[in-house]
Amino acid sequence: MTVRIALAQIAPKLGDLDANLARHHALLDEARADGAGLVVFPELGLTGYLLQDLAAEVSMRLDDPRLARLAAATTGLSAVVSFVEESIDHRLFIAAALLEDGEIRHVHRKLFLPTYGLFDERRFFAAGDSLRAVPSRLGVGVGLAVCEDFWHLTVPQILALDGAQILINVSSSPGRDLAATNEVGLGTATSWRLLMRTYAQLTTSFVVFCNRVGVDESISFWGGSEVIAPTGAPVFSAPFYDEGLFSVDIAPADIRRERIGLPLLRDERPELQLRELGRIVQERAGLAEDATDPGGAA
Amino acid sequence: MSGATPVFELPDELAIDTDVARRVIAGFIRGQLDQAGFERAVLGLSGGIDSALVAYLVAEAIGPANLLCVLMPYRTSSPASRTDAETVVTDLGCASELVDISPIVDGYFEAAAGEAGREASALRRGNFMARARMAVLYDRSVSWRGLVVGTGNKTESLIGYTTIFGDNACAFNPIGDLYKSQVRQLALAIGVPEAIVRKAPSADLWPGQTDELEGGFSYPLLDRLLFWRVDKRRSTEELAELGFDPALVERVDRLVAGAEFKRQVPPIAKLGPRTAGVDYLYPRRRPGSSAR
Repeated sequence: MTVRIALAQIAPKLGDLDANLARHHALLDEARADGAGLVVFPELGLTGYLLQDLAAEVSMRLDDPRLARLAAATTGLSAVVSFVEESIDHRLFIAAALLEDGEIRHVHRKLFLPTYGLFDERRFFAAGDSLRAVPSRLGVGVGLAVCEDFWHLTVPQILALDGAQILINVSSSPGRDLAATNEVGLGTATSWRLLMRTYAQLTTSFVVFCNRVGVDESISFWGGSEVIAPTGAPVFSAPFYDEGLFSVDIAPADIRRERIGLPLLRDERPELQLRELGRIVQERAGLAEDATDPGGAA
Repeated sequence: MSGATPVFELPDELAIDTDVARRVIAGFIRGQLDQAGFERAVLGLSGGIDSALVAYLVAEAIGPANLLCVLMPYRTSSPASRTDAETVVTDLGCASELVDISPIVDGYFEAAAGEAGREASALRRGNFMARARMAVLYDRSVSWRGLVVGTGNKTESLIGYTTIFGDNACAFNPIGDLYKSQVRQLALAIGVPEAIVRKAPSADLWPGQTDELEGGFSYPLLDRLLFWRVDKRRSTEELAELGFDPALVERVDRLVAGAEFKRQVPPIAKLGPRTAGVDYLYPRRRPGSSAR
C-alpha cells in the first residue's frame, strides 16, 4: 500500500484570503484527481507570511464558514492548511490544521515564534502551548509542526513519542546566505536538509516538509519541499523557487521495517527526560540548587 | 587561459552561487512589479558596472522589451561611460533614452542659486546631479509606466557613498545586498561586457575620479572588512586578528555609523495613536495597493 502525498509549493498572495482560498480549493481538486491521499500546503498559505498589522484583518476563528467550506472539500482526503487563527479571547496564532473527510481533525498552534534576525513574529502573534500527535485516516499517526518549531529538538521527539509516524512541517522559510561554499547554493536550504534527515532517522518517521515560494517585501521563500524516509534518506526534493503541486508516493510499511530494525523509539527514555527536565526547570527557577554552577554551589 | 590576468579579485569568503542569486533576483524583480501592478521598469544607466548589472538582471527577469534605460550624462561626464552604456543597450536590445542633465544642473547653479551657486563645491554639484537624475527617472517612470529600479550596491550603501534621495532613490533594489566584489562576480556570470567589469569604478563626477582613489581603499579589502564586521559580527579585536588594519577598521566604522540616516526612512514625530513605521505597520503591497 502506498500513500500519495501532494506538496503544494505555492506563492500565496499577501493578505488576500479570498484569492488564496480559491487557490487551495483548486489545488485540492487537482491533487484528488491525481490520486493524492494527503495534500500539504505551506505555513500561512491562506494569508501570506509578512502580514504585520494585516494579521488581525485576515484571521479566522475555527468556526469560520470559510474554513468549514475548505474542510468540506477534503472528502476522502487528508489536507494540512495554515492560516491565522483567532481564539475566542482574540489572541492570534499561526495555525496549521489537519482537515480530513470534511472535518477539522486537529489544529496545531505554532509553538516557537522567531523574533530575531529578520523575524518579528512575537510582535504580532501568540505562541501555542500544546503539542499532540493525532491519528489520521491515513492509518498512521500524524504530527504537525510549523517552520521554527522544527528548530527545537523537543518537537519532533515529542510528536514521535506521542504516536506520530509522519511528521509534517509547513514553512515560510526565507532563503538567505548565497555563499558559494554551501552544499546546495543556499545556506538556509543546507541547514533545513540536514535537520530533516536527522529527525527522520532519529524518530524513524517520515518527514514531510512543505515550504512556500514567492516574494513578500524583501524576502524570497525558497521552496525545496521534501519527503524524507524513516531511514533519513530523501524520497523527493522539489526544486528551489518554482511553484508547483508535487506528487510523492510513500509506503507506510517502511516505518515498521525501520522501527523493527532500528528500535530507537522503543529504547527512548521519556521518564529519564521528565526527571532531568523537572530538575532543570527547578534549578532555572531558582527553586533548587544548580549542582553544575560553581558559583551557586558555594 | 592560464597566466591571464583575472578580470577582478574575488575574496573567497565573498564568493556566491551566482545561479541561485540570478534565480532569487529574477523572482524578486517579478514579484515587486507584479505586486505593484506594473509590467515595466526604468533605470539610470551610467556605463558603470552596477547599473549595467541591474539592466541585465531586469532584462533576464521581465524581458528587454519591458526595460527602459535612461542615459543621463552631464557635460563633464566621460564619453567612455556613454559608449559603455550604449554597448549595454545594444547588447540587451532594450529601449533607451538620452537626457543631457547639463541644462538642469547648470541652470540651477548659474541662475537660480546666484553667486553662491557658481562657486558650489564638487560635493554640492555631485549631489545635485544625482538628484536631477532621480527626478528624470521618476518622471520617466510615469511616461514609461514602469517602476524605478535601484542600482546601488551594499558596499556604497554601508559606507554612505551615495546621495540621499538621489542615486539611492528607487522603488526597489535588486543588488543592494551584494558587495562590490559580488556585483563583479554576478556581472561576469550574467554576461556584462568584460570591459565594464574590468574598469575602475567611478562616480564620474569629474575627469579621472575613481571610487578607490577618492576613498583610499581597494574594494576587495573594504568588502572583506564590511563582510566580517557587519555580516559576521566580528569585534575590533577579532578583526585585528584577521589582519585588518585597526586604523582602517576605525575609519570604516565611522563611515558606516555616519551613513545610518541614508539607509532609513526619516523619523516622524510620534504624536497620534498610530504612526506610520512605528505602530502602524503594513507591508507596502497588500490587497488594494496595486496600480492595476
